[in-house]
Amino acid sequence: MTWLLGVWLAGVIVAGLLWAPAAAGFQGDSFRIVFFHVPQAWVAVLAFCVNLVASIRYLRTRSALDDSRAGAAARLGLLFALLATITGSIFAKLEWGMFWNWDPRETSILVLLLVYAAYFALRQAVADEERRASLAAAYAVFAFVTMPFLVFVVPRVYASLHPDLVEAAEGVVRFRMDPRLRLVLLASLAGFTGLFVWLYSLEVRLARVLAARRREES
Amino acid sequence: MKRSSLLAESLAILWKELASELRRRVALSAIGLFAVTTLVAVAYQIGPYGLAEQDRPFLLSALLWIILFFSSMAGLARVFVKEEDSHTAPTLRLAARPHAVLLGKLAFNFLLLLALQVIVVPLYCGVMGLAVASASGLALVMLAGGAALAITATFVAALIARASGSNALFPILALPLLLPLLVAAIAGTRAAVGSPGLAAVLPALRAISSLGGVTMVTALLLFPAVWRD
Repeated sequence: MTWLLGVWLAGVIVAGLLWAPAAAGFQGDSFRIVFFHVPQAWVAVLAFCVNLVASIRYLRTRSALDDSRAGAAARLGLLFALLATITGSIFAKLEWGMFWNWDPRETSILVLLLVYAAYFALRQAVADEERRASLAAAYAVFAFVTMPFLVFVVPRVYASLHPDLVEAAEGVVRFRMDPRLRLVLLASLAGFTGLFVWLYSLEVRLARVLAARRREES
Repeated sequence: MKRSSLLAESLAILWKELASELRRRVALSAIGLFAVTTLVAVAYQIGPYGLAEQDRPFLLSALLWIILFFSSMAGLARVFVKEEDSHTAPTLRLAARPHAVLLGKLAFNFLLLLALQVIVVPLYCGVMGLAVASASGLALVMLAGGAALAITATFVAALIARASGSNALFPILALPLLLPLLVAAIAGTRAAVGSPGLAAVLPALRAISSLGGVTMVTALLLFPAVWRD
């Protein structure tokens, strides 16, 4: 399956850079970064959702594996949020002339980065494994409830430069894109989701192996 | 043996905190002195004439909340950190149910913030020459903002008290969580400064109340796991 994921992502890169037609309303080819920036942001949110579910599961089951799952998801979420921030900054420089404009969406992703960086600061500050896991799980759940305010409320309260690719009117959701652009974007979303699933499963398998080794040593 | 109610236990915890604070005044001194020092620094650098007229409502509202927020970071963590430092936490775990501990300490932190606001807000308005169009609107924003700030700060205080390097961790964990609240509180204060009546502050009050409500429910659900482990 890994080779299929590789071929799929390679196809997305080629389609995004060569096959997709030019998009109206953007400077030159700057829109092409959208095929990578949007999926990275989506995967970051998906990873933080997985972190939430694993954290809730840990608080119920107290299984060390659920803590490893939560940690792995948060690590990947942080990585993809960072990539989304970098690609977003490149887009902002090309479109608006500045890498950082304190746009509400830029600010909200920066705060998300800070929230999950703080999550790891908390994990590093606690030596006892069980206490670390329960404190981190509690912080992750508490932090997640503020996320809708950051991601959905703040960008809508303040005027944003950020283009909306989706419009929702009269209960119908529509993409504001050419069908070929939409196809590449959807393929990229699927590819990045597959990439997340693959990386996440690697992290969880590694955590299982390390836990087994610790049990053997003790 | 008669079982005490949650309210009675919470009030007993609040009373213990108040008695302890009135005896030593550590948190109040830390927060108060931090606030006054920051206020003096801001007033010295900007003063009543240092900002253009059109920028004053927004910038002065933002500065006021920055002073309140960072002052609160200096003392709100103490409610739980002192229990761990003085090794009284195990006794408290036996004496009261977790929700009573959270509610009692939250009420204490809220009262501490109210005391801070009662001192700092009139002083700030006087020193910076900030005329408030809706005093009742400002009071409501301060009340709601103080309550929401106390909820998140008290929960984070409970978390960091159980981790090493507590004091350094408190602002690191609390700041990103409090940012949406700060945004709403600054918007509400700006509205109260610029518009008479309560209508202008209502959108901010709704945002602050919903954020406070969500964090309160989450804190109540999660606190037993944090407190008992």
